[in-house]
Amino acid sequence: MNDSTTPVLDARGLEKSFRMGASSLHVLRGVDLSLHPGEVCALRGTSGSGKSTLLHLLGLLDTADSGSLHLADKNCTKLSRTAAARRRAQQVGFVFQQFQLLPELDALQNVLMPRRLACGWSWWSRRGSEYARAKEILAKVGLSERLSHRPSQLSGGEQQRVAVARALVSKPALLLADEPTGNLDSHTGDEVLDLLLGLAREQGAAVLLATHSRALAAACDRELLLVEGKLEELTDA
Amino acid sequence: MSLLHYAWSFARRRALLALSAVAIALGVAVLFTVLAVLNGFLAEFEGTMRSFAGDLTVRPLPISWGGPGEFQPYVDSIESVPGVAKVEARLNWFGLVGRRGSRSLSDPRSSDLNGLLLVGVDDFDWADDPSSASLPPLRLGKTAAKRLGVNAGDTLEVVSFQPRPGRAPIPARLSFSVTESFSSGQHDQDLDRALVPRTALLPLTNLDTPFTEIIIRVQGEIDPESLVPALSAQLEKDGLAESSWQSVQSWRDNAGNFLRAVENQKGMLVMMFFFIVLVAAFQLVATLTLIVTEKKRDIGVLGALGATPGRIIRFWVLMGSIVSFIGVSLGIGLGYLLTSNLESLELIMGGGEKIFLPEIYQFEEIPILIDPSAIALLAGATMAAGILFSMIPAWRAARRPVLQAMSRR
Repeated sequence: MNDSTTPVLDARGLEKSFRMGASSLHVLRGVDLSLHPGEVCALRGTSGSGKSTLLHLLGLLDTADSGSLHLADKNCTKLSRTAAARRRAQQVGFVFQQFQLLPELDALQNVLMPRRLACGWSWWSRRGSEYARAKEILAKVGLSERLSHRPSQLSGGEQQRVAVARALVSKPALLLADEPTGNLDSHTGDEVLDLLLGLAREQGAAVLLATHSRALAAACDRELLLVEGKLEELTDA
Repeated sequence: MSLLHYAWSFARRRALLALSAVAIALGVAVLFTVLAVLNGFLAEFEGTMRSFAGDLTVRPLPISWGGPGEFQPYVDSIESVPGVAKVEARLNWFGLVGRRGSRSLSDPRSSDLNGLLLVGVDDFDWADDPSSASLPPLRLGKTAAKRLGVNAGDTLEVVSFQPRPGRAPIPARLSFSVTESFSSGQHDQDLDRALVPRTALLPLTNLDTPFTEIIIRVQGEIDPESLVPALSAQLEKDGLAESSWQSVQSWRDNAGNFLRAVENQKGMLVMMFFFIVLVAAFQLVATLTLIVTEKKRDIGVLGALGATPGRIIRFWVLMGSIVSFIGVSLGIGLGYLLTSNLESLELIMGGGEKIFLPEIYQFEEIPILIDPSAIALLAGATMAAGILFSMIPAWRAARRPVLQAMSRR
């Protein structure tokens, strides 16, 4: 992977606006952001400030109106939907507030899903090692006894731990977490966050974590504030 | 292919998909049954037709046209063609019989008179017949025997006419001893046929040629129709046929319009029932579209995890394939079950009576023939239709942007 001097993520002048009938809502106004391997960065802002929009652009789920985006030293500014999906499968992990697990699959199969998508036809020759890797990471989040449980059979905290394992199973260069503890009580939220940050650091992934919590932001390496479509770095974090 | 597991996990928890599979299964099962019955009927018809009328028949050239009037030249000529297994002479002659043997024949006004086709054959075993010392034996079609009210041991007098060249034909009578009845498997043949020794029939005919047709049986699995050109050419070469005289006919020619009508009916029924299967497969579009809408968020999640639009299409097509495969498999199983118990089903549906009456449908029992190639074609076509129809919802699922799919709206 990248060495610590090369940024995993390098975004320059990102702009994004949405049409709202006759008018348009300018959400991001020239966002610059670099993240290095192993760096954990908190992104704060009021509701509707554009935190999720920025995460979507950085995670290649949406495209910016202007600006440039490099991910793991590759220009990802203008990618087709197929190329963006492939890049996501290889380089990006997501943790969502609503967990977003696939209800028909058990915990192990949910964690394996990104690997199935990333491997394609080579899945069949690699499935042994992929299963081992998925079980290992589920053990690290404390769910080795819950492998065959479907999301409906798991608590909220357990579901989010499965989501964390799913996000990290591919060893992504960039982990994007959109209010990952927003649906959990504070105790469970702290546990999940500890796991998420611990595993991300262990893997050397750069983490961008959208949150409303000042305490949580303070625990990160960097703290960014999104105000009126622009990023401000809080140096006293 | 790596999404197979997810597609299967998904499909087996959707009752709607199970209903789609059942709909396909019912269509396939009905078509399976229709195919098996029609193929069985055609095969049985071919079997009885060929066993009685032979694979090929040759009409001898009349003496007035230069024919030899003897059987042996035909045998020599026909047997010189590769693929011929056996050559038999046959003498067909029409006669009239009374309903209870000869008694009503004395009164020509009787409405009891029936026409009978006397078929003179050479392989009629005289020795076993107890009547061989007195009257020549006659084996009567089962239905004809019942209709005429005659039993084994009865005497049957046949009245016919002897042709006389240049003069009016004269009536001729010949008595036979009924030995037994036979069942050819075809109702119309059992109704008006009687087998007699060919030599015993000769006194009734006064023909210069002691046979009216030559029956040819071909070797093994050779298609009889493939021998027609070679046989025609050989007979013509040996002076036993003329180019204007269609001397060689296959069993298909002899079966004529009836066979073509059945084959047409088979084609129409297969087409009609395949449309039913298509309609059953087409409702996959509605079912999968409904599920695509229901699972919008999960499709978005798959996209966020790195599923390309092509992968999303493959996933839904895989789902359609799974449903089609289950439907086709169930349908073939159900079709096999139906065809295996068709006689019982017929009686149940008919309230204890046969629905397919032998007088109309020409068979005593519903014939069944399961043709693996036809079933494979049916399965393949249904699978192809299922896959094709699942493309529409698959495309709808794949074209939706990931964020839009994941949104709650």
